[in-house]
Amino acid sequence: MGREVSESCIDALITEMVSSYCNRFYVNKPEVSARRIEAIGYQVGIQLSERYTVERPRFSEHLEAIKFICKEFWSELFKKQIDNLKTNHKGTFVLQDNRFQWLTHMSINASAETTDSSQQEPHSPNSTTLDANLLQATSMHLYFPCGIIRGALSNLGIPCAVSADASNLPACSFVIRIKA
Amino acid sequence: MIVCVAVIGQQNNPLFLQSFTQEDDDLKLHHIVHCSLDVIDERVNNPKRSGIAVNEAFLGLLYPTESYKVYGYLTNTKVKFILITADPEVRDADARNFFRKFHVAYVDAVSNPFHVPGKKITSTSFSRKLRSIVDNLGSITTV
Amino acid sequence: MEHYPEELRTPPVMLVSLVGCPDLHPAVTSFLHSENPPMNTLALPEFSKISVLSGKKQKDGNDIGATSTGGILKRDWISKHRTKVPSVVAVFFAMDRVAGNPAQWQQVCTDLDNLKIAIHSRNIKLIVVLVQTSTTDDISEDLMTLLKKRAEIDGKFFVVFGQKDESDIRKSCNRLCGVFSELSNMYYREQVRRIKGRIEKKNISCFELNIRYCFKARTFFAIYWLEALKLYQDGYHTLHEVIKDSKRLPPIQHLVEIKAVAEQFNFKVSTLLLHGGKVAEAIVWFRKHVTTYGQLVGASEVGFLHWEWMSRQYLVFAELLETSSASAPGSVSCFGTPDNPLTEWEFQPAYYYQLSASYLRERKNGLSKSLLASGFSDVADAMDDSLDSVIPSVYVGQFVRLLEQGTVISMLPLNDAEYGCYALSEGKKVQDMFEITALFRRSVESFSSLKASRMSSYCSSRVAKEYFASREFVNSKQLFIGVADLYRQEGWVTLLWESLGYIRECSRELGLLREFIEFSLEMASLPAFSFTGMDIPKNSLEYGPGGAPSLSRRQIIQEEAFMLLKENSGPGDGHSILNLAEGQSIYLEIDPVSPLRTALLASIFFHEQSIKPGSSTSITLALLSQLPCPLEIDRLEVQFNQPECNFTISNAQKKLSALTLEQQGSREEIAPTLTLETNTWMRLTYNIKSEQSGKLECLSVTSKLGPHLTICCRAECPASMEGLPLWKFEDLVETFPSKDPELSFSGQKIIQIQEPEPQIEVSLNASGPALVGEIFTVPILIKSIGHEVNCGELKINIVDARGGGLMSLREIEEPSHNSLDVELLSVSGISDEDDSPRDVENIKKITHSFGVVPVPSLEGWQSWSGKLTIKWHRPKQVMVYVSLRYSPNRMVTAPHKVSVHKSLQIEGKIPLVIDHSFMLPFRRDPLMISMTKPEDESGQMVSLSLNETTILIISARNSCEVPLRLVSVCIELGGDASVSICSVHRIGGNFPEHPLLVPGEEFKAIFSVIPHVESQKLGVGSIHLKWERDSNSLMFGKDTDSCVSIEQKLPDIQVELPSLIVTLDCPPHAVLGEPFTVFVKVQNLTSILQEVKYSVGDSQIFVFSGSHNNATFILPKSEHVVAYKLVPLNSGHQQIPRFTVTSIRYSAGYHSSVSASTIFIFPSEPHLNHDGSSTGLELSAPLSST
Repeated sequence: MGREVSESCIDALITEMVSSYCNRFYVNKPEVSARRIEAIGYQVGIQLSERYTVERPRFSEHLEAIKFICKEFWSELFKKQIDNLKTNHKGTFVLQDNRFQWLTHMSINASAETTDSSQQEPHSPNSTTLDANLLQATSMHLYFPCGIIRGALSNLGIPCAVSADASNLPACSFVIRIKA
Repeated sequence: MIVCVAVIGQQNNPLFLQSFTQEDDDLKLHHIVHCSLDVIDERVNNPKRSGIAVNEAFLGLLYPTESYKVYGYLTNTKVKFILITADPEVRDADARNFFRKFHVAYVDAVSNPFHVPGKKITSTSFSRKLRSIVDNLGSITTV
Repeated sequence: MEHYPEELRTPPVMLVSLVGCPDLHPAVTSFLHSENPPMNTLALPEFSKISVLSGKKQKDGNDIGATSTGGILKRDWISKHRTKVPSVVAVFFAMDRVAGNPAQWQQVCTDLDNLKIAIHSRNIKLIVVLVQTSTTDDISEDLMTLLKKRAEIDGKFFVVFGQKDESDIRKSCNRLCGVFSELSNMYYREQVRRIKGRIEKKNISCFELNIRYCFKARTFFAIYWLEALKLYQDGYHTLHEVIKDSKRLPPIQHLVEIKAVAEQFNFKVSTLLLHGGKVAEAIVWFRKHVTTYGQLVGASEVGFLHWEWMSRQYLVFAELLETSSASAPGSVSCFGTPDNPLTEWEFQPAYYYQLSASYLRERKNGLSKSLLASGFSDVADAMDDSLDSVIPSVYVGQFVRLLEQGTVISMLPLNDAEYGCYALSEGKKVQDMFEITALFRRSVESFSSLKASRMSSYCSSRVAKEYFASREFVNSKQLFIGVADLYRQEGWVTLLWESLGYIRECSRELGLLREFIEFSLEMASLPAFSFTGMDIPKNSLEYGPGGAPSLSRRQIIQEEAFMLLKENSGPGDGHSILNLAEGQSIYLEIDPVSPLRTALLASIFFHEQSIKPGSSTSITLALLSQLPCPLEIDRLEVQFNQPECNFTISNAQKKLSALTLEQQGSREEIAPTLTLETNTWMRLTYNIKSEQSGKLECLSVTSKLGPHLTICCRAECPASMEGLPLWKFEDLVETFPSKDPELSFSGQKIIQIQEPEPQIEVSLNASGPALVGEIFTVPILIKSIGHEVNCGELKINIVDARGGGLMSLREIEEPSHNSLDVELLSVSGISDEDDSPRDVENIKKITHSFGVVPVPSLEGWQSWSGKLTIKWHRPKQVMVYVSLRYSPNRMVTAPHKVSVHKSLQIEGKIPLVIDHSFMLPFRRDPLMISMTKPEDESGQMVSLSLNETTILIISARNSCEVPLRLVSVCIELGGDASVSICSVHRIGGNFPEHPLLVPGEEFKAIFSVIPHVESQKLGVGSIHLKWERDSNSLMFGKDTDSCVSIEQKLPDIQVELPSLIVTLDCPPHAVLGEPFTVFVKVQNLTSILQEVKYSVGDSQIFVFSGSHNNATFILPKSEHVVAYKLVPLNSGHQQIPRFTVTSIRYSAGYHSSVSASTIFIFPSEPHLNHDGSSTGLELSAPLSST
């Protein structure tokens, strides 16, 4: 029943959204941009979770909801499931996607180079700033999916904080901390 | 005959309430809908006592009032749908069917990017869609 | 339930009659009463009274056919069978009277005959009881037979009643009782059969009778309740048929009768079902009952009768449910599903109480409507007389008029109009209000105990409405306030609106001006719009005094409130009790949880997070109101925690009028206009500065609206502001207090005013690394560069630079050791001027890592120095944090102080690495048994041979970056010094007075060790080493105790007696071509004969004589010498041929090592000074390790 959207459109839209917020609306205020992007994701997450849980029995515990995010929800969004789910059984969950769709167009070369060069020779100052920029750009792109996860979970009655780690692209892991 | 349908938010706040009666009895309907939340709480919080189909969205008959019957539905996102009907007997399948359509209409309404989650639903198309669902159910039950 | 007659409420009871012997009646009666099931008795003391049994009959006699259409059920039917128509008559004859003279016998016969006649038509059963009058009485068989015959009864219905003593009476009673119940059952069974027969004979056309029979039949069954239930239900269903055709009575009265009968049936059925524990069935039954009859409202002029009836049904069922012992929903699995259409609440009496109350309210409304419609009050008096004579008829649910015509009393049926009037006049007498409130209150309690707060709120709002209607405003208001709370919390605006409307009206009626204003403002600021777009819904009465929620209504409410506060509203409003007293003003306080936040909200934020004292920053006040009409503010007062910062903002247009209230000296700003539009932020930005460091917090904003209203809003900041209650659910665009999104998210109402720049220098000077073991001194210098130091306090804190603790977990083996890695030993201060000990006394060392020193007052440009001493027990990198806190001003005892922080990272290092090794003497090798054994990997210990010299080399390497001077190295023997188990002597090593070790340099000391005792585990002692920093590099004057000693225990050794000692005696050098002799001495230390093999390898450098291989025996405690003569063929360092000695016994051998077998070959005879050179050379040669 679902209508389909071109992947490249979505990719382009997200890139454009991130760059608009970072480079046009709130230049030099990365926190505000991040907050705004996350808020958009949050709303999208709420709305998507509303749609994807139709016809589904209610979840009786947190783990069920998290599994839903990993499987059905992720499949709806990315046509694949989360590859790895870990938990400390104390309200922290780590969801790892080995090839996160929205970061596939991020340059991985730079980071690969730095890991190699670190063994051979010290960084040139230029490459470290390049790294920092890359890292920031990546993290900006991750606020949106983090917001989606947070929105979906809070809408399912699980208030939480979500952060992401993309230190080894294109894998990306999302850390969910459920608020007690 | 369906008297009223309502959508209740996560904090038990009314998000939408539409009456299909000719009389102006909004207040009474508000009271009925509000009181039905107690039954929903009871059913959801004591799932053992309320039976096996614990996590099903359709909650069944919540309670009969003097003249109406109140049915409930609870989504995974803790949004409640309430149906007030004056029919003495509503077939289970009809009620389920009604709520299923209701839910789809609701999802469409809140997926509107201009709708802020958690706020009242003011969409007229949602209202129209509901009316058609209600009419549909009415025609089924009368047949 | 109480209004039902008792006979209806309780299960049916059998009735028996006792005739004659009145003295026995009480005993028998009470016995029968206590039976289970109990039996009622109708006691007739004399035979003359027996007409009662038949007399009734006359009236009832003409039987069914004739009276058929009078009604359905007779009112007194059950009670008749309880008290008047017995099933059995027991006739008591005293023995002496029967057996006496013939006249007496005659009498007995007459009595019996009369009785038989009396009971015949009703088929009442007869028992004859013969009462023994004296203990000795003997009953003749003849008499008994005679009596039985006369009475025409079966033998078993003849009872002899003995009364010799208590137990005899008891026995007799028991017997009698058995007969009673048997006969009684027989009687009732006959009755039922009779009635059933009639029901089954279809010739009974009339449903009414059928119903009656069902009802009657049931009554006869005292015990068989299941059957009874069926009969009742049959009767009830038959009743349905009757509803339609009513020719017998006018329609209104017909309905009333039907309902009255149905009520009784329903009551009976419900009771029985509940009695049988079938709660769910009872509920289903009742549900059907009320849905069936709920529709039969009947004529509208007596509609209230229907509501009354409905209310009563619910009330009775509620009471039944409450008193029923059967607890309901334990077994019920699932509510509201097709399998179980019942819901939770239907098991709760509260639910029925609430509905009962609702219907009673309906009745009340209906009654007043009917009264209004009939214009009753006018005609009432005229009708009253005629209505007085209306009484309930003999039939359930019917009424007749009693007409007295002279002495004749006749009963006339009523027509519906008359009945209507009668019902109205009766209905008027009942005060519904108390009953309604009582019922609702009951359900409030039950629902709140069920945690159904919403239902309970609903009920309590109904109670409050009743109170309001009866002008009990205090009660009403109190209840509504409780209810409003819930609606407010959950955002039910419509319901809240209704409640607030009532509360507001109550406040008005009670003359509470302040509350009236508060609730008016709350109502006016509710997000209430009319749903349809029309401002006035049709049925606005439904909402009570507040009116229907709409924008225009809100405006009216707001205006009304503000009108009251206008200066000269005064007595203009004649009827209102809300008047502002002279000089009175209303002060409202709005905090973040107040419902009035929607009326006025003050959001305040600084544009920066911290500023320097004295510099200015911006502060923005953003006010928001949801009141429908614009708010005109005269003046705003902004309050801070530092009162000097307070300021006011005046409305330029109203400035003059506000002059009177102005305070002198405070800052005042003028704003051109201070008008708050609905849902629009009014933002005012001003500069602000503070001299005082610390935090500056905006506390509140007070607005003056006209001379009589002051609203004080607690300041809220955007960062932690909650959304507006109720409005946050509205589909409106969200607005923010600031246009700057960053401030909207993070704006704070608190700003940090920084401390003034400290004008004190604190310096920590410590050179290089600290060395483990030494007392390391860190000098501190505090120097004023402008500020005075008063009440100074210096805090020192040592933390692990890597984040671990100062304490490290060590193995348990060394418990004596200090578990601390680094320890703050002391903190001391030396004042600049006088080195008084007073200062030192104050010094506190609080823990091993934290210390506090008071710093004496310093005036400008003075300085103070102190020092910290720290000792490292283990190498570790630490941070030393020092913070000085002082107040720069002597005069002011102001709490604010200035802090200076300083930190220094110091690494603790190991100064010297000490190592040791044992060595055998050169070219002398003991063969020990332990060597031959396979080595035990774990507990490998150095083995030394007993009484032989072993060389111990101690090395100490400077592992730090500073040159160290070694003061002494020695070995202290462990254990008891008096017993010489081991002698250790220093025998060599390069040893200047105090060797200086530059970083990385190693120092060696050589000791000889001779163990004297054979032991598996012998402690050799420990190395004691003293060192100091090289004085050149020390900062402080050379201290005598700057010498640090290190102690390191030597590992335990094993001492054993060697069995063989092989000594290679070889000159250190030789000359090319000149022969020399090498002796190999093998010494047997054991007391047994030892066989040894020895062999010599070939060498190209040497030519030698002697056998390559040989074997020999060595006597105990003797020595065997093998000599070889060698001629070197090459010069330089050369190896003599490898020599191997093997002990056959131990199959262990000695191979000469490379170093031991190397000698130097001179090309020609050197010219050497031979004095002592041989030993010197020997020692300087490389030593081989064991």
